[in-house]
Amino acid sequence: MNYMPGTASLIQDIDKKHLVLLRDGRTLIGYLRSIDQFANLVLHQTVERIHVGKKYGDIPRGIFVVRGENVVLLGEIDLEKESDTPLQQVSIEEILEEQRVEQQTKQESEKLKVQALKERGLSVPRADTLDEY
Amino acid sequence: ILEDYLLVEDAPLLEEMAEEDEELDLYNEMTFGLDRDYTEEDSTKPLVPLEMSPELVEVVAEETEAREELGPGVAEELGELQEEGGMELEVEQIGSELEEEEEELGTEDQEEDQEPNDLGDPAVMRAVQSKPTLESQDSAVLDSRIGACWAEFGEEDMLAMDPLVWGSCPGSIPPHHALEDKAILQVLERPPPSTNMALDFLSSPVQRGYRGSPRLKRPNLRLMSPKSFPQHFLRQTAGYASLAPFRPTSSTIGSPPRPFTMHFGPMSPSSDSAVFFSPSASGQLNLSAPSHMTQLHPQHQRILTQRQQQGGQAQSISPKKSWSPKVDPYAGLMTSKEKDWVIKVEMIQLQSENMDDDYYYQMYYHRLEHKQAEEELLGGRNKQEPPKLVTPFIQKVEMYNSVVRIAGSLGQVAVSTCYSPRRAIDAVHHALVEEATGSHRLRALHKIEKLFLQLLEVEEMQRKMPLASEEQQPGCQEQKSQEVECIYQALKIRACSTEEEAEDEFLQLLCVQKGKKLMARLLPHLTQEQAEKILLTIAHHLPFLMKKDALDESLPLLYSPLNQVVGGMTFSKVIKVLQEMTRPLPESPELPLAMALKNQFGISLLYSLLSHGEGLLSSDTPLEPCSGDFETWTDTVFLVARELSQVPKALLVEPLFLPSNLLSLFCRYLDKQTVHHLEVKME
Repeated sequence: MNYMPGTASLIQDIDKKHLVLLRDGRTLIGYLRSIDQFANLVLHQTVERIHVGKKYGDIPRGIFVVRGENVVLLGEIDLEKESDTPLQQVSIEEILEEQRVEQQTKQESEKLKVQALKERGLSVPRADTLDEY
Repeated sequence: ILEDYLLVEDAPLLEEMAEEDEELDLYNEMTFGLDRDYTEEDSTKPLVPLEMSPELVEVVAEETEAREELGPGVAEELGELQEEGGMELEVEQIGSELEEEEEELGTEDQEEDQEPNDLGDPAVMRAVQSKPTLESQDSAVLDSRIGACWAEFGEEDMLAMDPLVWGSCPGSIPPHHALEDKAILQVLERPPPSTNMALDFLSSPVQRGYRGSPRLKRPNLRLMSPKSFPQHFLRQTAGYASLAPFRPTSSTIGSPPRPFTMHFGPMSPSSDSAVFFSPSASGQLNLSAPSHMTQLHPQHQRILTQRQQQGGQAQSISPKKSWSPKVDPYAGLMTSKEKDWVIKVEMIQLQSENMDDDYYYQMYYHRLEHKQAEEELLGGRNKQEPPKLVTPFIQKVEMYNSVVRIAGSLGQVAVSTCYSPRRAIDAVHHALVEEATGSHRLRALHKIEKLFLQLLEVEEMQRKMPLASEEQQPGCQEQKSQEVECIYQALKIRACSTEEEAEDEFLQLLCVQKGKKLMARLLPHLTQEQAEKILLTIAHHLPFLMKKDALDESLPLLYSPLNQVVGGMTFSKVIKVLQEMTRPLPESPELPLAMALKNQFGISLLYSLLSHGEGLLSSDTPLEPCSGDFETWTDTVFLVARELSQVPKALLVEPLFLPSNLLSLFCRYLDKQTVHHLEVKME
């Protein structure tokens, strides 16, 4: 129950397990221990979860202090439903390898695309080199 | 019946209660595996399954011994505090002290359970290895959670309210239990709360939370009998909500609502308890969840609340279907004070006038108000006040005095900089600015500004003078002269050599355009003597000034006032000035004179001087010349003529004003041919 209707606050989320999506694309899962007015977060027992396809791997990270502006979204994890997922957990090495492969294929396809566009006289700026705002 | 129950003011009663509490706590711990505060006793007592009541008794005895240290302390405090008024306050203090002791006991054990985080292990989310709790062992306990009941309020971990649990050891309830409950029942004597239960429920912690000791994070219920339970167990999560009672609280301090009944014997529960033990919530559990008809054993209540306290401030609360046996030892990192603070900041943010900042909040209330207005119109009811968040009123500082100066003090007063750090920074800046800023130019500019302001004042005075009465005139005049003198002194006009020119303050002023403007406006106010001195200085440093003026070309500003000055000069003075212009320069073969011819201001000034000199000569006024004046004059004229003829026409600058008597001047001294030559040049 929100004691401050019309507002949103992370106070209620303290000490609960959260999934945090960062602007750089990382997914962190940890217990939200502390916040401040900028929504800077202190995550405890944090795990960085890498998803590739149907697989995922967790990298334990310890304590995270996340600057509020870097958070895209976050949500509480239902501890009961947490394990109820079609995704398959794999080891870190495996998931990193998968990720690398995924990046590689993406890069290659991107390269082909850019090449094709160039041949047709078009140039599409790469999204990651654009200004963020 | 209620009146029969004593107000807990009697020490013996309290003592009894204290003992009782200890026993109960032990019991609770054994039942629910509460480990935080009682770890010291862990080693002494084995975990006793509920069914073994005799052992329980044994352990109770043990615990009582262990707690003896607390007991006397409690008694003492009780005794001391007896005299103080306000039972609640006493109790709180005792409670907090007790709590401290508890915490001391408990703190060393906090770290026991955590194993070092092994990074090699991907499964980071370890189960916290607390003592195997009864819940994990007893499925009945697991099943019978009333957790969901509290879910609405985001409550902390729910206690098991399994009738089985308690049913199995009726004998453990100490005989004095009744007394304790009497005290608790006092809560029910309070005036009934207002209609909106949930809101009032929140409002009570307002007073509670802020009246009590700030250290009191986990109020020890053992001695705080007059307090209502819901207050306490909601304190944790709602404590900070006390800043924002959803409804402007009408309940008075110290009058907690009676949100639920202490089900005690034949008493029928009030409908309020429905709020807490909602049937809807029980749907989640397959338990005979306490509906509004359920009567909770008073001990159950206590256990509940105690559980609340010991669970720490901010244990993770979620409507759990199955009981998670892991007690989170890291919970409560963020204290309620800190949470309060964050909420406070957030609410202050809501106070902004800017629609962009708190759009959702504003919209929400607009809509709410609209809706209520509509309802009001339709229903014809009395005007309903939309419950508004009571945000802490922060008085915005209207004026920010960056530098605080108290009359008569020396410099900046040491204003508290903890809450306004900006002052300290600004003060330093202020001080720096007042000092020599290191850069000559900056200093010069600063000075110009200062003097300009003074000049403006002088001019103001000048303007006002005619308006002043006859008697005031001399006074005004006097004042004005003083001001002018002030400015003149500030100019620091002094003789300086060529090497020092760049450093000379007065000359620096003249290098700046505004400085020239300043001088131009000031000159009319100065005395002739002062003005002449300035002219002399300018003439002396003319090459320097002309060089510096190459960019601005603002020297001509000075021409007009200087011209006036020249017009009032004596012949000797003119000679003097001209001498400045004809003196040879150390680093240049060129005479200042020659340079002047190439400069508009220079040539204008020269012509002005010559013209005046000529005028003086040709007039009948007695000249009073000094010795050698005439010779100098003649020499100068010749020199001028020579330079004029030598200077190529292209470089010769047209003066601002060509005096008419120059040619006649030249005629007197020079031959016709030269004169004609010059004439051509000068046109």
